[in-house]
Amino acid sequence: MTSPRPTPSDLTSTPLLTHEVGSLDKLGWRVKAVAGKDLEERDVDEARAWGGRAGVDGFEELIDLLRRAPLRSKEDKDQVKRWSSRYGLRMEESAGLDVVYDGEQQRTEMYQWAVAHSNGFEWRGSVRAFDNKYYSKAAVVGPISLKEPYHDEEFAFLKSVARAELKVPITGAYTIADWSFDERSNGGQDLTKPHATRTAARKDARHEFVLDVARNMIRPNVEALIALGAKWIQIDEPGGSTEPDELDLFAQSFNESVDGLDAVFSTHLCFSDYDLFFPGIEAMTACRQFAVGFANYDSRDLGISDAARPGYQVIRKFRDLSYRPSLGLGVLDIHTDFIEPPELVRDRILYAVDVFGDPGRIQITPDCGLRTRSWDVAHRKLVNMVEGTRLAKARLGLS
Amino acid sequence: MDVITYQHGIYPRSEEVVAATRGLERGRTTREEVDRAFAADRADFIRTQREAGLDYFSDGLLTWQDIFRPFVEVCEGLDAHALVRWFDNNSFFRAPEITGELSLSASVPGEMEDDGDLPGPKMATIPSPYLLSRAAQSDEDRNTLMRDLTREILRPVSQELVARGYRLLHMQEPWLVYFGMESEDWDDFEKAVGELREATEGATLVLHTYFGDAGPWADRLRRLPVDAVGIDFVETDPEELGTGWSGGLLAGVLDGRRSLVEPVEPVVGFARRIAEMAGPSRLIVSSNAELELLPRDIARRKVAVLGEAAARLKEELA
Repeated sequence: MTSPRPTPSDLTSTPLLTHEVGSLDKLGWRVKAVAGKDLEERDVDEARAWGGRAGVDGFEELIDLLRRAPLRSKEDKDQVKRWSSRYGLRMEESAGLDVVYDGEQQRTEMYQWAVAHSNGFEWRGSVRAFDNKYYSKAAVVGPISLKEPYHDEEFAFLKSVARAELKVPITGAYTIADWSFDERSNGGQDLTKPHATRTAARKDARHEFVLDVARNMIRPNVEALIALGAKWIQIDEPGGSTEPDELDLFAQSFNESVDGLDAVFSTHLCFSDYDLFFPGIEAMTACRQFAVGFANYDSRDLGISDAARPGYQVIRKFRDLSYRPSLGLGVLDIHTDFIEPPELVRDRILYAVDVFGDPGRIQITPDCGLRTRSWDVAHRKLVNMVEGTRLAKARLGLS
Repeated sequence: MDVITYQHGIYPRSEEVVAATRGLERGRTTREEVDRAFAADRADFIRTQREAGLDYFSDGLLTWQDIFRPFVEVCEGLDAHALVRWFDNNSFFRAPEITGELSLSASVPGEMEDDGDLPGPKMATIPSPYLLSRAAQSDEDRNTLMRDLTREILRPVSQELVARGYRLLHMQEPWLVYFGMESEDWDDFEKAVGELREATEGATLVLHTYFGDAGPWADRLRRLPVDAVGIDFVETDPEELGTGWSGGLLAGVLDGRRSLVEPVEPVVGFARRIAEMAGPSRLIVSSNAELELLPRDIARRKVAVLGEAAARLKEELA
């Protein structure tokens, strides 16, 4: 007799559950084939190698499709995208993760995808995020609405092929607004107006923009996903703490996006001064889990003392939230090819469990999506994350 | 009144450089193609400055990965790993990390070596001592670190830049007005700035505060040993500045974080008002922050507005 499938709320409180957080790199065959370009032999070899390594059933069908490159028809390109989704899913499943998605293989990018499927925006060009990493930045120029729910097709497909549990990542309202220019109002920019008037106009415009995205872009998407059977939705907010004096607005936008809807909601935060989120996120009572990147700030030394784990000191604040969300503990630094040894992952987990005093409130994730790493590095990191979790469970006497 | 204008800080990269650098990282293009794309951007920015009639020329710091990286790479005892948010922007820098004894391995960072194509008069942007010491990761006392970083890196590099013919050095200082400064830190900061003043004799030295309200710090700022202090007027109420600025004032009047391009007339009107209220000996008209946070084509249009506004102000305030 098999055990009943866990409910979503069981999932967010399952001790040391491992899951993904965001996007994976798109392999060369996926990028070139969808762009209608020729493929090199090494691209096809890569598709074959990962088909075998990740255990993708029937990947020879993809190889046959790639042999026909350059692909011209939309149908062929859509097929390639779905194969890429399968590969992402199986890659994560083969690493041993408990909860997976597809590394956002069908999306262009977390911000670009959302904006491209919405009305009210115009593209303005590329802006650098760091080093040689950039994003396409749009300006809001009119009323916001959905062209169509933009994760439905992807989710329906993944639901049909996933072996592990699914968690749907969706870019949050605050981040979308924060990563966009606002050209609907120039009241805050006109230096001829008194400073106080300009400041107030900027604040009002910002408030209106963020909540407009929450109500008219994110919430309808979330509703559509729930209608298709999504049970766990992660609202990604890498921009969440960008403006420290807007944490109340950030929390409000989360609540406006999900309040009263029937699913489990979590959020993902990364590369921020996490202290800034407090007390703002005390109002996010519908958030069952915060998946947060910490490894980027941590030492690589082994140990479970405060001194050995400088990147994790702030977790006490998440522990003390009155609504007792679980913490998705980022244990993999996604900005380096350094492969965290299982023992380092183990010690980061043991430290967090000790601080929380409850393994049911700790789950294990990378700091963020592994999009900037090669699949080889990403997979090795994830495999070690799973192994490190196993070591931690053994130390804690958990099965 | 002396009115000048220039564009400081990191200038945005074109879509061609974006594609080339992205392609290089993914093994889809060559180093030579990337170099060609950067060279085209550099030529474009020089042309943009010339057409706008700016008074000093910058190379746009186009190859810099952030404001600190070239200094990290030219200095033993510094490294950079952790990504840290660049104030309240969707932009990040790698925090300089002190790993040993500080010692320059060359007289200037590699990115500043090859400047033969840059027309004169030339200007350079460097991090302010306070910014560099606070953004760095170290267990050392921050003011001791500020002194060390100034003595070992900023001073010799600044001195060398002046020797190479740079006529203006622009120090970026967002930290002070964004996070503030403790009263006991001011003396050390003034000494560090004073060291750079000594090292740059004959050149114009500007300290530019931005991303925050300079009003609460105006009295101390105006006493610093620099030729001009930069104020971000998107964040600062001009009423707070007071009157009688005996030194120079850089008026940050174009918004480096908003995509709407300002019309010339209000910019001229506002800068004129600043000049009349504060009465600086020299008015520098510029953007409130570097333009890196804008797409390149929008930045280029803002530089054109800057040139036009400055030309008008030169006539009106002559």
